[in-house]
Amino acid sequence: MLAVLAPRYWGAHLLALVLMAAAAGLGWWQYDSYQARRAAEAVDLTQAEPLALTSVMGPDEPYPGDRVGQPVTVEGTWVPTGTVLVSGREHEGEDGFWLVTPLAVGGAEDPALPVVLGWTADPDAAPAPPQGTGEVIGWLQPTDGTGETDTDRTDDVIPQVRTADLIQHVEQDLYGAYAVLDHDRSPVVPGADALEPADLEQLPPPAGGTGLRNLLYALEWVVFGGFAGFVWWRYVRDVTRAGRDEGAEQESASGPPVPSGT
Amino acid sequence: MTDDLPEDLRTPLRAYRFMATVVGLLLVVLCLVGLPLHYGYLVSDAAWLAQGSGEGYEAGEFISEYLGVAHGWLYMIFLFCAFWLSRRADWDIPFTAVTLVCGTVPLLSFWAEHRATERVRTEVHESLPA
Repeated sequence: MLAVLAPRYWGAHLLALVLMAAAAGLGWWQYDSYQARRAAEAVDLTQAEPLALTSVMGPDEPYPGDRVGQPVTVEGTWVPTGTVLVSGREHEGEDGFWLVTPLAVGGAEDPALPVVLGWTADPDAAPAPPQGTGEVIGWLQPTDGTGETDTDRTDDVIPQVRTADLIQHVEQDLYGAYAVLDHDRSPVVPGADALEPADLEQLPPPAGGTGLRNLLYALEWVVFGGFAGFVWWRYVRDVTRAGRDEGAEQESASGPPVPSGT
Repeated sequence: MTDDLPEDLRTPLRAYRFMATVVGLLLVVLCLVGLPLHYGYLVSDAAWLAQGSGEGYEAGEFISEYLGVAHGWLYMIFLFCAFWLSRRADWDIPFTAVTLVCGTVPLLSFWAEHRATERVRTEVHESLPA
């Protein structure tokens, strides 16, 4: 019935609401810090000391799965003729292009690593690609394609950083990876300061155990909220039933509470 | 003794007392041992409490990481047991609330367990024919 809506039960309803809302809020807070911890660990890896590219992977080796976002140092010879623009790159919510120039690791004919020099909204404003020898520090990224293909192979704009597309633009072999130039830590690359730093597409996956405590606490608060709801439901049921009994047999004599059953 | 209680009270009372003891002990270890070790570096410069390296700090971190999570889940089970008992024993809401909340306070949880057990026994004996 509507007996449970009587003002004398409002306190109980309010308490149930407050408890469930508090549990939901605390659960959300724990879930939030769980995600923040994972994100923080992912960023930590990208701030690690750079390693020499050659110690991370060779030109013919598959991408080492635990090295996504690893900072690397690369020395070699720029291949300005292999420069391409990668379309559809977002930076701070704006659509634009990456300027990518391969860096041959060693001499001009050696296998090259594509280097994302930076982002620009206007491809016509892109600076001239670097020439001669160079050294960069950048974050290593795998060249996994998303399946999007280059619809116009005659120009120097490709839809993603993918070896199969890039290889059309250079004479030598390419690494199965690319680097995103670290504008803060890298030695100066001519022209790169005219570009915005590009954002990393893929961050390293955090270790499995990161923030597990927060995730477990978040689940626990969900269970607690459910428990508060359960208790409230039982309470409402009792009140409704008691109201019905009272209506049926008037007021029964009240004594000290007696456990049911013997 | 709980053996002279009716069956429908004996089981929930046993479950409640067991969980109250487990949760109470864990809470004491967690709050009176684990947390002081974990956060001792805030008030002391002792090397064994140093954040990240001290042995005491690491022990405290271990306790709050593992026992903390375990205690949370066991407290849930404790809540269910206590609620089950409160329904069977027909406790009023204030008494139930105090019993549930005291399970969260170190040391006080033992007093709450004692108080609840006493009440169940007293009321059973009062209601039984002499």
